[in-house]
Amino acid sequence: MKAYLARRLARAVLLLFAVSLLCFLLTRLAPGSFFDDIRLNPQISPQTIATLQARYGLNQSLPLRYAHWLGSVARGDFGFSIAYNTPVSRLMWAPAEHTLLLGGVTMLLCWLISVPLAVWSARYERSLFDRGVSALTSLFISVPEIVLAVGLLAFAVRSHALPVGGMTSVGFDELPAWGKASDIARHMLAPVAILVLVGTPVIVRHLRSSVLEVLHAPFVEAARGCGIGGARLLFRHVLPAAANPAISLFGLSLAALLSGSLLVEVVTGWPGLGPLILDATLARDLDVVVAAAMLAAAMMIVGNFAADLLLLAADPRIRTGSPDAV
Amino acid sequence: MRFRRAIWLPAAVLVLWHLGFLCAGFLAPYAPAEQDRDLPYTPPSHFEFRGPQGFHFRPYACEADAAAAGNQQSSCYPVHFLVHGWQYSFAGLRSDLHLFGVPAPRRISILGTDAYGRDMLSRLLFGGRISLAIGLLATLVSLVVAMLIGTLAGYHGKWTDELLTGGAELFLVVPWLYFLLALRAMLPLHLSASATFLLVVGVIGSLGWARPMRLIRGVVLSARERNFVLAARGFGAPDVYLLRRHIAPMTGGVLLTQAALLIPQFVAAEAALSFFGLGVSEPVPSWGNMLAVLQQYSVLVSYWWMLTPAIALVVTSVTYCWLAERLQRWLKSSSI
Amino acid sequence: MRHLARLCLLLPVLAVFCLAAPGPAPLQPREEVQLSKDAGQYGGRLVVGLRAEPKTLNPVTAEDAVSREVIGGLMTELVHINRATQQSEPALAKSWKVSSDGLNYTLKLRRGIRFSDGQPFDADDVIFTFTVYTDEKIDSPQRDLLVINGKPIQVSKLDQYTVLFTLARPYAAAERIFDSLAILPRHILERPYRDGQFLQQWSLNTSPSEIAGLGPFRLKQYLPGQRLVLERNPYYWKADSAKRRLPYLDELVFVFAGTEDARLMQFEAGETDVVNRLNAQNYFLLARQSAGFQLQDLGPSTEYNFLLFNLNELSSSKLPDVARKQAWFRDLRFRQAVSAAIDRDAIVRLAYGGRGTPLWGNVSPGNKLWVNSTIPHPQRSLEAARHLLQSTGFSWSADGSLTDPKGQSVEFSIAVASSNSQRMQMATIIQDDLSKLGMKVNVVPLEFRALLASVFQNYNYEAVILGLGGGDADPNAEMNVWVSNGSTHLWHLGETRPGTTWEAELDRLMNQQMLTLNYQRRKRLYDQAQQIIATNLPMVFLATPDVLVAAKLAVGNFHPAVLEPTTLWNVDQLYLRQGAEMARSH
Repeated sequence: MKAYLARRLARAVLLLFAVSLLCFLLTRLAPGSFFDDIRLNPQISPQTIATLQARYGLNQSLPLRYAHWLGSVARGDFGFSIAYNTPVSRLMWAPAEHTLLLGGVTMLLCWLISVPLAVWSARYERSLFDRGVSALTSLFISVPEIVLAVGLLAFAVRSHALPVGGMTSVGFDELPAWGKASDIARHMLAPVAILVLVGTPVIVRHLRSSVLEVLHAPFVEAARGCGIGGARLLFRHVLPAAANPAISLFGLSLAALLSGSLLVEVVTGWPGLGPLILDATLARDLDVVVAAAMLAAAMMIVGNFAADLLLLAADPRIRTGSPDAV
Repeated sequence: MRFRRAIWLPAAVLVLWHLGFLCAGFLAPYAPAEQDRDLPYTPPSHFEFRGPQGFHFRPYACEADAAAAGNQQSSCYPVHFLVHGWQYSFAGLRSDLHLFGVPAPRRISILGTDAYGRDMLSRLLFGGRISLAIGLLATLVSLVVAMLIGTLAGYHGKWTDELLTGGAELFLVVPWLYFLLALRAMLPLHLSASATFLLVVGVIGSLGWARPMRLIRGVVLSARERNFVLAARGFGAPDVYLLRRHIAPMTGGVLLTQAALLIPQFVAAEAALSFFGLGVSEPVPSWGNMLAVLQQYSVLVSYWWMLTPAIALVVTSVTYCWLAERLQRWLKSSSI
Repeated sequence: MRHLARLCLLLPVLAVFCLAAPGPAPLQPREEVQLSKDAGQYGGRLVVGLRAEPKTLNPVTAEDAVSREVIGGLMTELVHINRATQQSEPALAKSWKVSSDGLNYTLKLRRGIRFSDGQPFDADDVIFTFTVYTDEKIDSPQRDLLVINGKPIQVSKLDQYTVLFTLARPYAAAERIFDSLAILPRHILERPYRDGQFLQQWSLNTSPSEIAGLGPFRLKQYLPGQRLVLERNPYYWKADSAKRRLPYLDELVFVFAGTEDARLMQFEAGETDVVNRLNAQNYFLLARQSAGFQLQDLGPSTEYNFLLFNLNELSSSKLPDVARKQAWFRDLRFRQAVSAAIDRDAIVRLAYGGRGTPLWGNVSPGNKLWVNSTIPHPQRSLEAARHLLQSTGFSWSADGSLTDPKGQSVEFSIAVASSNSQRMQMATIIQDDLSKLGMKVNVVPLEFRALLASVFQNYNYEAVILGLGGGDADPNAEMNVWVSNGSTHLWHLGETRPGTTWEAELDRLMNQQMLTLNYQRRKRLYDQAQQIIATNLPMVFLATPDVLVAAKLAVGNFHPAVLEPTTLWNVDQLYLRQGAEMARSH
């Protein structure tokens, strides 16, 4: 087990290293730089722009910039944001927390909703319920996320049922403690609803299809024969056996906890990483983009590790050898 | 026998659906890029079978705001069938025959018009031709890649697995927007229609394999250790046989589900590529660039007929889901 | 003549003096400005939606429009450009005097003014401020404004309330420069400046107590990604006609919305009070409901959108295709034909929903002081376009496509920023228009910075749609676009001397107007320059959008202007009518 963990760790470090390297390469290959848009301002001279670029080291060679970046990682700064004129780590904490909050709630809801839906619609295959679930999931799969998001927001605006944008109301500080909580919850409703509508169908479809496969397996028939039936059979025996793709999916959604909601955050004005990263990407505030990719990679490592462990736990077949087999 | 019964209905619907888009030139009343700048955002015309001489079988197309125009007589006009209009080519043949049309200065807009007064129906038909091809091909590419890599990783295990899953992880987290920007900068300014098509399929297909690969790897990982697979291996069955006969069929469910998910996603993804100048660009229609307009709040709430590409996409996706489900059921029943 | 001009400049000053007529002032300081606008009501919180988050509160390093808009609430300058009249007027400087050679500006500062932390303001703050702005090590984006003829403007203190600015050579309307230079508090920033820490000062995370300015508000709270809250500056130096100290508002809140549409939705939902720079579609959306809003179309903005052909010097080995096509682009009659074929009315109608104005020159009618209204507005004519093309050797092949004198068919691409849907629409309309001349035009949408890299660095484009303007309305702000060695001389960058006779003439006129102090004479020179530009079409001008704004009915003294910041330029006088606050908290 120790060797296994050591190998996982080594791989994680290697992956992070590769991500950072690739990021630097890509950001160098892409055209445009941070100070490009002030070139359009006739009142700023090219000399000024050149000095600004030199100040932030934008004209240095790639290896040198990478070395500087590694140095800042060692200091815990994770690079320097040109736009905000501040170390990236200071910039990212608060938004990362907000994104994590949004992602966590979404993920919880997604799985809470989709597991029973999938299992029941597989159990009662071709029933009215199953057909309804099937129709709804294929509907929400095919509507692009952003159209869904704008549509839902339009509804919120017109019905005045939900606040539009942000995480707290302007008068947030004057609210009592429970008022604060409910204010955040109300602001969260729209983004969470969009993310759940987008996320649930994918899980339902995969889980339903694998539960269906297991339901016809001999051991289920045998269990039925032994008098094990109903919910106990479904959730205790069938579900774990059918969990395989769902677990991979779970790992992926854990990995996407920080990055899966970016678009929705931008559209709904949630103060998470989404608006920050989009802004930084378009503005070529490269260190922020690299840091975001590193964060996503870290989440990916955690997510996949969790998925592999779960796969091991749920599917005893994989457990033949040591955990090294994974 | 069983196969035919399970599959023929959704398959027939899909064939008809695709055939419709293939015959876009015949079905579309106008050229997809033809602008009528006096009629931006015209709502769909409606039809009446009651003309000045009472009831008749020929439908009359009426402008939506006929009452507002005040001139009841001229706002309804007869629809003619099999009319000659603008030139299009279909499978190498040039023709100007169209299913329907209205006398020249008038315009019929069954699904309304867009911001430039272009006919939405014509654009939807021509856009569908491109977008469905993109969606299907890109899905095929990414699933084939995912299948190859996922099976290899899951079956081989050990360092192969480490390397390939590591690669997939890398793929999922790297900021691809910069890759797209760099790619755009390396390509010539103007890309021909066929180059754009190949590019879109290539880019979407090659960026989309990492997620399905994770799923397939998981399934293969587990399938490898099943008793009958172990038994077959014990009997000295070669790897290729094992993969083909036993392991590949078990990934069928995941593959089909993924395919049904990915087709609509990839159709919409083309719009995102357009942002970087890699997608289908004006004035050529695609569902992607038609859907992109719906991101604008004002369009979404003011002009409901602009939603038609989304509806068409839903129809496509629902039928593919239906087919996938039937196929899966057949696969299951045939494997037992 | 010159005296008259100076008198004109002084008129607003005199007016202010008349208004601030004697009488027992309830306010401590003696030299506060009083305004004759409607007296408002105190109290309330005005919420304003911003397109993006500000990046810094440091006026010296701020580059983006959003940061500057926020800083506008915190800081004030010596001389202010009145956004309504587009004329300069006294601010912290109560008057200024220009020497007859135009080289010396003597500014008299108001006495008894205090920063928002209660510290007094005097000439030392001004000297410190300009030391920082002109410091090469700080390298402020505004530094270039203060460098005239290669030499920074010299500042010296004559007494505690008088400063002298010395220019290296005459510069027309130099006092307008002061408008974009916020005065800094020496007592806070001098030490960090000495320690070389100035660039790190006043980031968004700075505690409010460390920031002080002379603007109507001061910082109260910053919530990353959400909003920035400003509160009333109790020491603000302006008062209303009833001699009550401004501003009326208790708080000014900037809310950050991710997108244009999000900003609109927040306004529609009643979460924000003011929204500026609406696009036409969103304006109509609000107009249709119109309940509780005041919507205003302020007429044409000063922005001008144009189609630009690549006339740069290219080595034909690197970009052979573009270099080949430049033979067409360099041909004036080709550009004139393109201009004649473009349906500008359709652009205004479709891209701007009719809320815009077609352009044939570089100065929009929104720039009231400088527009040359004699520039012809020819009707769109495909006939004229064909004649022009024919006369310069183009012909049409059997299938109707245009071929150049060498027999090659005319096909080129128009690059356009994919994030700007109006310009995308323009490109699509132009594509259709030019197809009627037999030209095959390809629209190439590019991400904005990638597009700028093509335009400014590798010149890898054939034609591009861009927009400029929107800053100061004065022609000097545009110098670098029109003089041939300018940094934004877009159609031919890196030119050291004018390539054509008309460019030489344009250089002469632009440089001449910069040295001319008399408005009428400057106007005549700039009129000629506009005429040359419109005739020779280095850019094919397209259209300018109207400035569209909206506010809740409850917002009083709402007098938006064409120049930025459109709605908040008089934020010190904005107020909320009673009951408005109640309505929102519901």
